Amino acid sequence: MSQLSTLSDAELVQRCREGNTDAWNELVERFSRYVYAVCTRGFRLPEEDAEDVFQEVFTRVFTHLDTLRNDAALRPWIAQLTRRLCLDSIAKRGREQATEEPMAGELASDLDEIDEAFTVREALATLSETCQEMLDRFFARDQSYRTISDELDLPSGTIASRIARCLSKLRAELEGRKVGPDGSRG
Amino acid sequence: MSTEDYLDLRIDDFLDRLAEGGRAPGGGSAAALTVAFAAGLVAMVARCSRGSWADATGVAAQSLAIKERAAQLARTDADAWQQASAALGEAGADGDPEGRDRELEQKLGRAAAVPLEIAELGADAAALAALVGEYCEGAYRADAAAAAALASGGASAAAHLVQVNLTVQEGDERLKRARASEQAAAESAKRTLASIR
Repeated sequence: MSQLSTLSDAELVQRCREGNTDAWNELVERFSRYVYAVCTRGFRLPEEDAEDVFQEVFTRVFTHLDTLRNDAALRPWIAQLTRRLCLDSIAKRGREQATEEPMAGELASDLDEIDEAFTVREALATLSETCQEMLDRFFARDQSYRTISDELDLPSGTIASRIARCLSKLRAELEGRKVGPDGSRG
Repeated sequence: MSTEDYLDLRIDDFLDRLAEGGRAPGGGSAAALTVAFAAGLVAMVARCSRGSWADATGVAAQSLAIKERAAQLARTDADAWQQASAALGEAGADGDPEGRDRELEQKLGRAAAVPLEIAELGADAAALAALVGEYCEGAYRADAAAAAALASGGASAAAHLVQVNLTVQEGDERLKRARASEQAAAESAKRTLASIR
């Protein structure tokens, strides 16, 4: 894990403003999956349009970073920008071609899901590597306790308890980072 | 009826469907649902013990994940078995025998992979049942024991389905894994039942 990856969004924005190229790369890395997911899973843009929106989002973030009033609100700002550009893309392509455009309720639900997944991913990144590995293997890769035990060289009888403790840490992290609508942590 | 509909059925409708006389749902689907029941019970016991056990919520979350996976496998198994059964029926037909053999092997292989997964989930559900049996509130110990017994039964049934699959020979890695899961589940159940009597 690089040092930059442990910075808060506000700290990262500050480094980007100072012209730190590595910080900019970290910002793109941190939000690229989110932006792409909003484009493809939320708004169901075709790949080509999603790539255009993706490029445009980060171009605008780069050029307008100085206009961000609250540095901690980076994520809601990127979210809003992405949604607006997705809508522009759909409008540009023409409604008759956007056959898979989601309904408003469905879209809101998909976007909430993406936001939630992103929040969990961020919180997960704060846990120890062993915890991240075990949670990923059990919940995302559907691996059995035996497989996890064999591959991580841990006693099989302790896997379930270890996962439970990692989940407690994840929960504490998520509860500690409740993000308000303006991006502030409450 | 398509196997897609199993999870939408009422329990008595599913049981009628199971008893109907068709080839699916069959033993694999029943084993998968048995494991799902066991995992559901474990989740219930863990959730009811949150006041006295710090790991209860995390154990409940794992049980729910196992329950979801096992329930999905009820129809996956039926699909796999129906496809394998259809391929077996076409084995002697005219045409491309090598192509058909390859397809048959692939479909039978799939029909072994699903019960193997069910057996492994059964072992995990039994391990969780043993854990909740140890730490849950006293009033729920009997439910933990019931969950362990069900998980072990599901794992054992699924392991048997792996063993009798036509593509599985003695010494096959899949069979070793299925038997290991069956054994692990049985040990967890034995331990849990013994400690609660």
